[in-house]
Amino acid sequence: MRDNLEIMLQSACSALTSAETEAQLREVRVQFLGKKGELTAIMKGMRDLSAEERPLVGDLANRVKDTVESLFEERLALLVQADIARRLELERIDVTLPGRATNSGSFHPISIVTDEIVKIFSGMGFGVAEGPEVEKDFYNFEALNVGKDHPARDMQDTFYISDDVVLRTHTSPVQIRTMMEQPPPVRVLAPGTVYRRDSDLTHSPMFHQIEGFLVDERVTFGDLKGVLTRFLREFFGDDLGVRFRPSFFPFTEPSAEVDIQCVICSGQGCRVCKQTGWLEILGCGMIDPEVFKAVNYDSEKYSGFAFGMGLERMAMLKYGVNDLRLFFESDLRFLRQF
Amino acid sequence: MIVTYNWLKQYVDFDFSPEDLSHRLTMAGLEVDAMERLGEGLDSVIVARLVSVDAHPEADKLSICQVDTGSEVVQVVCGAKNHRTGDHVALAQVGSVLPGDFKIKKSKIRGEVSMGMLCSESELGLADESEGILILSKEFTPGQPVFEALGLKDIRYEIGLTPNRPDCLSVYGVAREVAAMAGKALKAPAFSLEEQGTPLCEVASVSIENAERCPRYAARLIRGVKVGPSPQWLVKALESIGQRSINNVVDVTNYVLMELGHPLHAFDFNLLSGGQIQVRCASEAEAFQTLDTQERQLSAEDLMICDGERPVALAGIMGGLNSEVNDQTLDILLESAFFSPVGIRRSSKRLGLHTEASHRFERGCDVDMVPLALDRAAAMIQEVAGGQIAPGVLDQYPATLLPNEIQIRVASCTRILGFELSAHRIAELLESIGLSVLTKDADGVRLSIPAYRPDLEREVDLIEEVARLNGYDNIPVTMPVGSLEVSTPSPRLQARDRLRQLMVSLGCNETISYSFISPTAWDRLGLNCEDPRRKNVAVLNPLSEDQSVMRTSLVPSILETVSRNLSHRILDQRIFELRPVFFPTQEELPREEYRLCVAICGRRDPEGWSQSSEQVDFFDMKGLFEQLQAAMRVEKLSFDSSASEPYLHPGKSCTLKVGKKVIGTLGELHPSVMQSYDIDRPLYLLELDVEAFLAKASQKTSFKPISRFPDVSRDSALLVDEGVSAQEILDILRGASAKHVEDIQIFDLYQGKGIELGKKSIGVRVRYRSAEKTLTDTEVVRAHGKLIDSLCRKISAEVR
Repeated sequence: MRDNLEIMLQSACSALTSAETEAQLREVRVQFLGKKGELTAIMKGMRDLSAEERPLVGDLANRVKDTVESLFEERLALLVQADIARRLELERIDVTLPGRATNSGSFHPISIVTDEIVKIFSGMGFGVAEGPEVEKDFYNFEALNVGKDHPARDMQDTFYISDDVVLRTHTSPVQIRTMMEQPPPVRVLAPGTVYRRDSDLTHSPMFHQIEGFLVDERVTFGDLKGVLTRFLREFFGDDLGVRFRPSFFPFTEPSAEVDIQCVICSGQGCRVCKQTGWLEILGCGMIDPEVFKAVNYDSEKYSGFAFGMGLERMAMLKYGVNDLRLFFESDLRFLRQF
Repeated sequence: MIVTYNWLKQYVDFDFSPEDLSHRLTMAGLEVDAMERLGEGLDSVIVARLVSVDAHPEADKLSICQVDTGSEVVQVVCGAKNHRTGDHVALAQVGSVLPGDFKIKKSKIRGEVSMGMLCSESELGLADESEGILILSKEFTPGQPVFEALGLKDIRYEIGLTPNRPDCLSVYGVAREVAAMAGKALKAPAFSLEEQGTPLCEVASVSIENAERCPRYAARLIRGVKVGPSPQWLVKALESIGQRSINNVVDVTNYVLMELGHPLHAFDFNLLSGGQIQVRCASEAEAFQTLDTQERQLSAEDLMICDGERPVALAGIMGGLNSEVNDQTLDILLESAFFSPVGIRRSSKRLGLHTEASHRFERGCDVDMVPLALDRAAAMIQEVAGGQIAPGVLDQYPATLLPNEIQIRVASCTRILGFELSAHRIAELLESIGLSVLTKDADGVRLSIPAYRPDLEREVDLIEEVARLNGYDNIPVTMPVGSLEVSTPSPRLQARDRLRQLMVSLGCNETISYSFISPTAWDRLGLNCEDPRRKNVAVLNPLSEDQSVMRTSLVPSILETVSRNLSHRILDQRIFELRPVFFPTQEELPREEYRLCVAICGRRDPEGWSQSSEQVDFFDMKGLFEQLQAAMRVEKLSFDSSASEPYLHPGKSCTLKVGKKVIGTLGELHPSVMQSYDIDRPLYLLELDVEAFLAKASQKTSFKPISRFPDVSRDSALLVDEGVSAQEILDILRGASAKHVEDIQIFDLYQGKGIELGKKSIGVRVRYRSAEKTLTDTEVVRAHGKLIDSLCRKISAEVR
């Protein structure tokens, strides 16, 4: 009997190893270990054994059974694995084919730049205000210390709707409207569309500006330099060179023009910066006492600064756009790049 | 304003390099827009002495010259005749590039080596024509660049002046700034003046009728001048700052204008009737011919210079043709006056006549410069045109304009600038540009303002000057202190931003187009005559008719955008614009309302190997709108197909309504409008009144509990009349108050084979669910039966 068991074990092992499919394997298992299988048949001889031999042979039979079972499991796992591998191989696709796209939208670069600037300034406590694009002469000029005969009116060619109504030439009227509505302190940013009667390669009759102003007790020119330097470095990069130089605006005194180190050539001198290494980026200054008078702020108690910048210019420098007209031609080949 | 390096040096002895000067001017608020080197690139054309001149053995017309370059003697073959041994000439050495890209090379001319070229004036670009070669003064040293020797090497600075600085509209004025920078003295132009003959007061008189408009008028007479071409130095000086020479007398007035910034005018004295000058206003509608030969219609507002009979000049703007200096002119009456800025500005603006003179007078000239400019010009006219200066000046100055006095407080200066400068330093800075200190203590300085600085009127103006002269760079950088109240943008602004984000997330590209459009746009859209959108806010002075009215709808702009992109063969478009439109009102200002306009055409999905190539239709646009609606939680909105827009397809469009109020329209573009905009494929448009739409947006998000029990769906196919709308069916189903209804969908629509004509098959799917229990089949059948019944009853639907 022992011999029979040994022989059965050997033939079961070889049958299991040579089974190629799961079904074959299961057949082999039934053949040897099933109710009508070979083991059962061999075990029928147990009753002929002596009482001493019986437990020994029974033990052997159990070991044979366990060995066959574990070999079966081992082989089964192997076959299942191979089966999966075969199936997976059949399912192979060309992953280099492009993915299924959905339509992707885009913000206008002016919207992107506006958002970014608003975000930077809101970190410094500035809120956002709006005003009408068709504006009274009073808010656009008079209250900003630009009387009808002021030579500064030459600086801005104005579109008129009537004698007293204009398309605003800057976002500064929002400054007046805001200050007339609320007492200091104010920290406000006013993005918006503005219009000037000028159209060529570098001028568009409609463009965008952001005006910002801050009024409080003890606001100084040093603060103006601090706030704008911080803004420009956040917008264009940490180690950007920034300089303030004297200029003139009727609504600020002292006034300054702010230049940044040319972002195209890093200040080395190129065509964009006219070989100077500097780019004019925004105008600013301490709010003129005449403006405070127009909005009933006490200029002996309060001081403040204001600044304004062209958004197209910011976007052109940020993205390297070389033609102003692209912003308003709505060419999808342009817009889809943002 | 244009100045040159050398010209500035006449008045101040500075030692900045040309680049440094440019930088310093810019940082002082006199922005240098351009810096140009005059005589640049011709340094290899040098002064050379002719050691010998011999005939060329092989050519009669050529000579062989040995020339001393200062360092060696070289041989040059020359074709001119006007040179002699010992002459100093201009040698273009080998390697020079003369004007016109003429390269000088080493050459052999008829067998003789020539190491360069002896130049004529025209070859050097110094004259249009010239005969023979240029013979230079023997004072020049061989080896020196010719342009340097001739004083033609210079640097020209173009300064972009701000309108508050009329004092810098002259070389002398700019020099004053340079002197302040350099800490050097400013030297006034030196000249001497000699008077001769009959005193002026015996032959001429000046009277001012309107002293408010003309506070000061002075004149001098120069007799016996010879009008003719100006000497070279004068021509070159004017050329160096971009001015053309006219004749010696006019050139002098222009030179002095540029030098001192004070406009002058020269009359032919013999054309002035009675030797009289009267300053008075013109008669209304009087005609006057200015120097530029234009006939001008005057108004009683225009200030005129008149002789005994008639106007002879438009004061401070331009002279008259009737008294112009000409070739025959012998005696010159020279005017130097001061006119008040506002009057000049108004006349100049009204007449559309802007001149160098009016530019300065309207910004404010220096009243104290009147006599100096007059004497300087008289002396110079005598120098270049001969003649005698009549003794005396007619100087009418009825009421002396007193200098402004301003107190500047140290405390104010600190409060505005953020750092402290002492009274002493403040005084020092302001004195450097010619202000004089009246009193000074630790708290402040009181100063007298010179007449050339009309822009300095208030304390704050002086604070700016202090900051400027001390250097903006030297102001310490600080951050503002104070309460940091964080303010959030208004809900309107936030909602608009959200809408913009939604549009982008829905795959649309944002566009921005001009707010002004052509008034013919409304005809192209076929709007009827009463349409309120035809009433526009018009621009009085548009750049063109195409940009002459403020838009009341974004549709025309978006159609043009679509059309332009189609012409670039961009066939699949999803674009939107979110901008204001403008409606006239009874008030002064129009009503500005935001609109959202969307246009889609072409494929629904981007092109791709496994993407559908189906084209968008009405329901893509409607779906897009419904997504906005859902995202903004706008409920109670209806689609009304009974009316839409004349520019939309009547069968594929609708208005969007909240109650009775129309808040937008949606649909396919009308074929005739497609044609007029050159759009060759179906286009779907949405225009939405943003404020009205957002006004209906619900601010609240409220949670509904989720049922833990399973749902049951029932589908029914119903045969209904073709004319029954989906909305009707849904309204009936929703109104039937059947129990446990969770959701109702139309999942299928079929017409065609198997369905009788005039009918359509609609597939309706209803999902049932209870919050309390698992529904039994009976309960579902009962509820569904009730729904279908109501359809059968109300619209005679048949179950298929």
